[in-house]
This record gives sequence, structure tokens and C-alpha cells, in this order.
Amino acid sequence: MKLRMNLVLLALAAVLLFFLPDLLKLFFDKASVSYLSLLINATSLAILALSWDILARTGQLSLAHAAFFGAGAYSTAILVKQTDVSLWLGLPLAALSAVLLALLLGSVTLQLRGIYFAIATLSFAEVLKAVIQKLPSSLAGGAAGINVEPLFRPQFIAGEMERWEIAFLRNESYFLLYAGLLLATIVLSLLIESSSLSYAFSAIRTNEEVAAVMGVKAARFKLLAFVLSSMPVGILGAIQAHRIGSVSPDETFNVGTTVLALVTPIFGGLYTSLGPILGALGLASIEEFLRRTFSEGYLIGYGIVLVLSILFMPKGIMGLLRSLRKAQRESL
Amino acid sequence: MKALEVKNLSAFYGKIQVLWDVSFEVEEGEFVTIIGANGAGKTTLLKSISGLISNKKGTVTAFGKSIEQLSAAKIVRSHIGHVPEGRQLFHLMTVLENLESGADYLPHAKREAAKTKAYVYSLFPRLKEREKQLAGTLSGGERQMLAIGRALMTKPKLLLVDEPSLGLAPALTKTVFQALKTINQEGVTIVLVEQNVLQSLKAAQRAYVLENGEVVKSAEASSLLNDPEIQAAYLAI
Ligand SMILES: Nc1ncnc2c1ncn2[C@@H]1O[C@H](COP(=O)(O)OP(=O)(O)O)[C@@H](O)[C@H]1O
Ligand SMILES: [Mg+2]
Repeated sequence: MKLRMNLVLLALAAVLLFFLPDLLKLFFDKASVSYLSLLINATSLAILALSWDILARTGQLSLAHAAFFGAGAYSTAILVKQTDVSLWLGLPLAALSAVLLALLLGSVTLQLRGIYFAIATLSFAEVLKAVIQKLPSSLAGGAAGINVEPLFRPQFIAGEMERWEIAFLRNESYFLLYAGLLLATIVLSLLIESSSLSYAFSAIRTNEEVAAVMGVKAARFKLLAFVLSSMPVGILGAIQAHRIGSVSPDETFNVGTTVLALVTPIFGGLYTSLGPILGALGLASIEEFLRRTFSEGYLIGYGIVLVLSILFMPKGIMGLLRSLRKAQRESL
Repeated sequence: MKALEVKNLSAFYGKIQVLWDVSFEVEEGEFVTIIGANGAGKTTLLKSISGLISNKKGTVTAFGKSIEQLSAAKIVRSHIGHVPEGRQLFHLMTVLENLESGADYLPHAKREAAKTKAYVYSLFPRLKEREKQLAGTLSGGERQMLAIGRALMTKPKLLLVDEPSLGLAPALTKTVFQALKTINQEGVTIVLVEQNVLQSLKAAQRAYVLENGEVVKSAEASSLLNDPEIQAAYLAI
């Protein structure tokens, strides 16, 4: 029942997202490109955060999401460089390589908890980065990385000089691709939430021993969560590689990706579908606002916002909304 | 047939040995209690039987099937339920959800979930009244009832119960033990480990005494009640 209502809402959101680039053009004309860029940032952050949250629902707080992202990006980049197959084949390949990595990492970390799990996942990502760097540079480009052909053509405005990056952004197809991936990830998350997987996930998270004596095969569910969580992130990596136009160990296997994957759901509210999305919208907007206001050094402001939000809203935006609603009910 | 046969069971936390060659048996349909002081190894014993501790030696046979190598998730499929020490409920889930979680992952239990739930509610009507309430808001006695109910939802033929009297007022302890007796009379074999020696000897048919990880005594429950050593050590008479 609740699932059906959520899916209807989601369908409405899909329609809105589809027309959003046109609406932006209508309202902001040329400036709409920068809004489109903000939207792409928010969407990709939301995909990352929601995927991370799916894994966190089983109590596995991963520091390896940059690895899934990087695996997706690199497998696409290598495929495109080495073969003549359709560019689109890169996306399923990215999903596949992220999933294989997730299965590998997930099965070696099954017995690890807390800080040990965190360290193992972080080291895994770093090792993968080092391996990519050491691969023959004819294959993976070494420290310099590889260029990646774009999925969509840049759109220049006749007679104007502008950077390629902006011309690419003007091509709304990228935004639509991100939006599609986000919608798919939300559907995945909602299906998990409304199925018996959600009990199993939260049982494993809150008390693995009890889950075991209830008959929950924890290993299986934890691996499943790894698979489901890594898939969208792998595809995201591939799309990003096409849009940015290159991959390199430092840029693609960036610890920042891992940090954002974890900070965003915490900011929005853990273990829900809505929380990570609100978190992504919030953080992307705050970042954009700070960058425009302070330009240099805006990251300091960003850090302060994060610290304050963790101090004063430990349960994230969702927690804040919940307590507001409760206060409202009690005042009636 | 024997519901449970434990032979020379030793259990370890890392290198530290906590159980030393523990052996005991439970006939099908029996109500057996294992009494012992705090730290005697009661919880470790139950966890070793239900598969939560794998660092162990010795054999465990349940209903004729050897289970010491199986994982906890497999052992519960062999009809062995475990009510953990300290209830361990899912506090953010409702009473009903906690109960359902007991049957959700076991096909044989899920098929009969509605029936079992009705049985649990007949046993503990207070749970039915509080069906929609979060488990975290229940009183201690209600939580224990819910923990037992959740284990019953797994459709056990043998129920391992870990110190249900913990933190309960004597009157509530009595109610809970009475419920265990009813469950037993309806055909479920029960192994109850307890520090509350008086109440559990009154409820059970037979008893074992666990001291420092070893079984030091076994007898009819009623005769242990009159055993001077037991009276001096556990009953403070
Ligand atoms: N996780 C653990 N790690 C190390 N030692 C433990 C652990 N759990 C229990 N012990 C030790 O094992 C012994 C038996 O504990 P336990 O089985 O909990 O006893 P009981 O349930 O009878 O109170 C105690 O000495 C306790 O300190
Ligand atoms: Mg104990």
C-alpha cells in the first residue's frame, strides 16, 4: 500500500525531472546551465548516498564506495578505449565489475565489525587504486589515466566561445541519464524497504546474534546488500567518466567520494530512502551557495556546516522533520 | 527419543576456556533446568548449542541429528528455539513486527505464522493488547513475554531459555515460569538456564548444576530443593 503510493509519487517526480531542463531554460535562459550543473551534482550525490545507505542498513558502514565508483569508471574507460563496441555496453559492464568487487570485498569482511570493517574497506579501495596505477599503461593509462569518449555531443551556441565543459552540460541527455539512474536506485531502495529484506537488514544491524537464531542467514543478506549497493555506484562511475571525459587514479578513486557517500546519508537521515536524497539536495545546494558567496576557502564553511549539523541534528534532516511533526502533534 | 544430548562440550572465547566437558541429556517433552551462579557459563552453554559459538569441542545431538557443526540459522531450522539473555528485542519495531520477524525467515514457520501468533496471544493476552506498540515501550515482564513469543514463532520443538527472570519482580517471574510450564505441557521440550534457583527448581522436572563451566550435579528438581548443599549455596536457607 505504502509502496504503491511511493511509486506513484516517484512517477510524478520522474515526469517533473524529465521536463526540468526545459523549465530551467524557460526561467533562467542561458544561466540555466549552472542550475543544470547543480542538479547533476545533487543527483549523483543522491545516487551515491542512497546506495551507501542500502549497505549501511545491514550495519556495514563502508569506506569502499570510491572503489565501486572507480571500478565502474575504469571498466567503461578501458572497454571504450580497447574495443569498438557501443559506448552503452560500458554501463552494464560497470555494474558487473562493481558487483564482482563488492562480492569479493563483502565475503572477506563478513566477520569484521566496527572499526575493523571500516579499515578493511578503506584499505581495499586504496589497494585497488594502487593496482590500477601499476597496470600496464597501454591498458589503464598509469598515473595519467585515460581519456573517455563522451556519450553525448557537446552543444555549442553558434558564434559564442565557451568551454567544452559548459557545452557538454547544455546537453540535457546527461542530466536525464543521471535522473534515470537515481529513479532506478530509489525504486530499488523502496522495494527493499517494503520487502522482508528490510526486517532482515535491520535485524542484522541491531543484533546479529538474534537475527541468527531467528533463522536469518546473515552472510547471505550482507552480501546481497553489498551487491545491491555497489551496482548503482558502478554505473554512476561510468556515466561520470563519460561526462568528465577522463579517468585517473587520483581523480576517480577519490577518498572524497567515500566521505560524501557516508556524510550525505548521515546529514539527511540514515536507513531511509528519503533521508539520503534530502541530504544530497541539502549538501549540494549548501556547497553551491558557499562557493558562490566565498569562492576561495568555501570548503571551510562547508566543513563548519557539517560539524554543526552533526552536533545539532544527530539524526539528520529526517530526525529533525520527525521531531517537528511530533512537537506539532503534541501542541494540538 | 532424546530431544538433546550434549557430550563433552567445551567452549572457548579466544584462548580462554569457559565450558569444561559438559554433558547432559534432555528427553523429549521434558522440562529441564540448568542452574548456576553468575559467570558459571550458562549463557555460553546455550549459545554453543544454538550455534552462536563455533569455537567449541564435543558433540551436540538434537532429535537424533548431530548439530554441533551447523550454523545458528541452520540449527533453528532443526526446530531449536533460543530466547536470548536480556530479551534482545528490536526496540524500534512493534510487538507484532517482533513476533512476525520470528517466522519470516523460516518457510515451515511462516506457513503457520497466523496460527502460532494466535497461540502466543492466548498465552500472553497482554501482547495482543499492545500489538501496535513499539517493543521499546514495554515493561520488563512484557518484554520477556515477547522474547518468548518471538522464539515460539520459529516453531521450536526444543526451546532454550536464558535467564528470563533477569530483572523481573518475583510475581512476574512466576507468571513467566508458569507460561513456560504451559508451553512444555503442550509438547515443547524446555531447557531453562537460571540463577533464580528456587523458582526454576519448582518449575522444572529435572535439574543440572553448573559451576565454573562444569556440571557438578544432576537430579530430580524436587530432590535438589531439599539438598542441603544446594540450599546452602543457592537458596540461602
Ligand atoms: N564474549 C566473551 N568473551 C570473553 N569471555 C566471556 C565472554 N562472555 C562470557 N565470558 C566469560 O565466560 C564465563 C561464562 O560466562 P556466561 O556464559 O555469560 O555465564 P552465565 O550466563 O552463567 O552468567 C564468564 O567468566 C565470563 O566472564
Ligand atoms: Mg548468562
